[in-house]
Amino acid sequence: MPSVSSLAEAAEVLATAHAEGRRLTIGESLSTEGLDRILEHEAGDLTCTVEAGLRLSTLQHALAEHGQRLSLDPPGDPTVGALLARNQSGPLRHRFGAPRDLVLGVTLVLADGTIASAGGKVVKNVAGYDLARLVCGSQGRLALIARVSLRLHPLPKAEQSLAIETDGAASVVRALLGSQLQPSALDVLHPGGILVLFEGSPRAVEAQVAAAQGLVGGGEVGTEAWNVSRRRQAEARGRLRFDPGRLGETLAELREAVVRPAAGVAYSGDDVPSNRLLQGKVESLLIERIQRELDPNGVLAA
Amino acid sequence: MALRASFVLELQRALGATHVITEPEQLRVYECDGLTGHRAIPELVVLPGSTEDVQVILRACSREHVPFVARGAGTGLSGGATPLAGGVVVSLARMNRILEVDLASQRVIVEPGVANLDVTRAVVDEGFFYAPDPSSQQVCTIGGNVAENSGGAHCLKNGFTVHHVTGATLVLPDGETVELGGKALDPEGPDLLGMVVGSEGTLGIVTRVTLRVVRTPEAVQTLLAGFETTDAAGAAVSGIVAAGILPSALEMMDRLTIEAAELAVAPGYPAGAGAVLLVELDGVSAQVEEDAVEVERICADCGAFEIRAATNDLARALLWKGRKSAFAAMGRVATDYYVQDGVVPRTRLPEVLRRIEELSEIHGLRVGNVFHAGDGNLHPLVLYDAEQGETERARDLAEAILDACLDAGGSLTGEHGVGMDKACSMPRMFSERDLEVFGRVRRAFDPEGICNPGKVIPTPRLCGEVPGPYRVHPLERMDVAERL
Repeated sequence: MPSVSSLAEAAEVLATAHAEGRRLTIGESLSTEGLDRILEHEAGDLTCTVEAGLRLSTLQHALAEHGQRLSLDPPGDPTVGALLARNQSGPLRHRFGAPRDLVLGVTLVLADGTIASAGGKVVKNVAGYDLARLVCGSQGRLALIARVSLRLHPLPKAEQSLAIETDGAASVVRALLGSQLQPSALDVLHPGGILVLFEGSPRAVEAQVAAAQGLVGGGEVGTEAWNVSRRRQAEARGRLRFDPGRLGETLAELREAVVRPAAGVAYSGDDVPSNRLLQGKVESLLIERIQRELDPNGVLAA
Repeated sequence: MALRASFVLELQRALGATHVITEPEQLRVYECDGLTGHRAIPELVVLPGSTEDVQVILRACSREHVPFVARGAGTGLSGGATPLAGGVVVSLARMNRILEVDLASQRVIVEPGVANLDVTRAVVDEGFFYAPDPSSQQVCTIGGNVAENSGGAHCLKNGFTVHHVTGATLVLPDGETVELGGKALDPEGPDLLGMVVGSEGTLGIVTRVTLRVVRTPEAVQTLLAGFETTDAAGAAVSGIVAAGILPSALEMMDRLTIEAAELAVAPGYPAGAGAVLLVELDGVSAQVEEDAVEVERICADCGAFEIRAATNDLARALLWKGRKSAFAAMGRVATDYYVQDGVVPRTRLPEVLRRIEELSEIHGLRVGNVFHAGDGNLHPLVLYDAEQGETERARDLAEAILDACLDAGGSLTGEHGVGMDKACSMPRMFSERDLEVFGRVRRAFDPEGICNPGKVIPTPRLCGEVPGPYRVHPLERMDVAERL
């Protein structure tokens, strides 16, 4: 598999495929693992700019030395580019969002070799089209993501997880989401379990855990409890989306799932209808038009 | 270019004659938005009442190649809603209904003409609020907020409009509608919604928006600290960030803006302060209390000579009074001012502020600084007197300030948008290739180039010859004559 380690190399490989009418699949027939540098980490700005082949774990390790993190914790150890292209998130999605919520800017290499940037490296910026968000969830079909600027958060001083066993997950979730508690993560491990994560100063975490227990019960558990959630998410056969207010009905239809209730997303081991089928016809046509503009020869097409 | 009579008639039949404005006197109401220096009288203003109406309008525009621009409350500051010569203004003013409040999902579905603050009003009794709070939130509309990806003083912690829009119905320039997102997050495929938010009305017209509303925090605490200099206040900002504290708002005002605010609304800020820092903390009580103590200590360590705290709404309103009136208060110290909207990485704030001071001296015009210090979004107010012929100099200074922001690795605009105002400045931040790719994406949505053309992406026609700023004629100012 050809591997690129610079913007120029990536542009050359793609432009050649474009000219020769060949197809490439990023991560399969074209590796970005050589693009693995941290280009900038300005701790005081809580931002960083990295090359997209960098592994998430490598980035997190480097950030942790400065007491910071990228608040995304999907299963596995994707490259930053794959993280965006697959719009992956984990339990921290509850409070910190998905890649689209934390990406500030990108440098893309289009299939014809054009290198283009959008967004910037500052946390607030509305200049130009937000291609950084556009490529989130694009599955590598719009362009090669080469560089990414990201918003970071400070590592919490303390954290504590709470596990609640219940037959009535929907009402427990309703009580938690209706309260003024601010958990960093809230997963339903259907059937029967709920995991909640509180982060902050030691005293504030203690206060939140006590308040949550007063509200819905449950017992303290170690951080490793979240590995179960991430593993089940990784092993899920499908993903479905639901109106967050319809959690009860949704759970009733699923045998097994890891659910992020505030997002309205469930990862299930059941056979769930592919969400792809739910994409509207006009939306699909629109995406095709964008693909044709950015990649007229279909180098990156599925 | 005059519109064909049949085109006007078609829209009158579809929308009802009262919802199609053709009278020159009435059209003039729409000649500009908050960027009053750019004006143009539209050929036609239409007021659709539904998504279907918008479809009818855009199909007709598409068929006849008539350019159009959507308009909300017209409070935008970059000319995003400035009409196009020979074009149609699509005012969403009638589409102002809140369609659904679904608190079990923590979502509210609205039409684009709903005012920002009305979303919070609809849910506040149940203990929720809509977080993005642009300073015009009393009147600015959700449609405009979506177009501009509006922020506000509290977006430092809560995020911008894009973080609070979970779904939208978009009418494409050819009249087709597309449903993006919904109440659930993370739809499959590229994040079209995330790009449409902030696209300044150039990719279509949003006719229905699903918003995320959030629970009101358990505790809110506001601190105001007076410093001798902006450098000292800037050091406090860095200290707060370094301590791992994320305030909901972190605002700074410099000496000139403090003085203007005192003249205008007398907020009674610390006497003689060269800079005032406003820090708002929200969240769970235990965390807020702890952070407040820490913020006070950091401010004191950085030389704050006076620190005030507010824990109730009344006291809080008092602390915010000066900040909220800052722009309007400039009228007390200057006849005209030009608001800039540059962004710099937070750590570069002190040096950029010093550079602005130098530039101010070089150009011989005063600059007041009021800004969102937490996210490095500067709003330098360039003061000038148009009647003294200072307009050009003011523009030059404003441009030089933008260059200083870009040199520091920042952005042309943090929240006001590119619109018409900064389209020609885009090449200073983006390469020709970047802009060409923006153009390709735009073409996928609007192949005919009829959707708010001339905005965001520079065109030779537009930027070869930059139109001069609108000048109020002395007679006009005296109410003796009006412009027709």
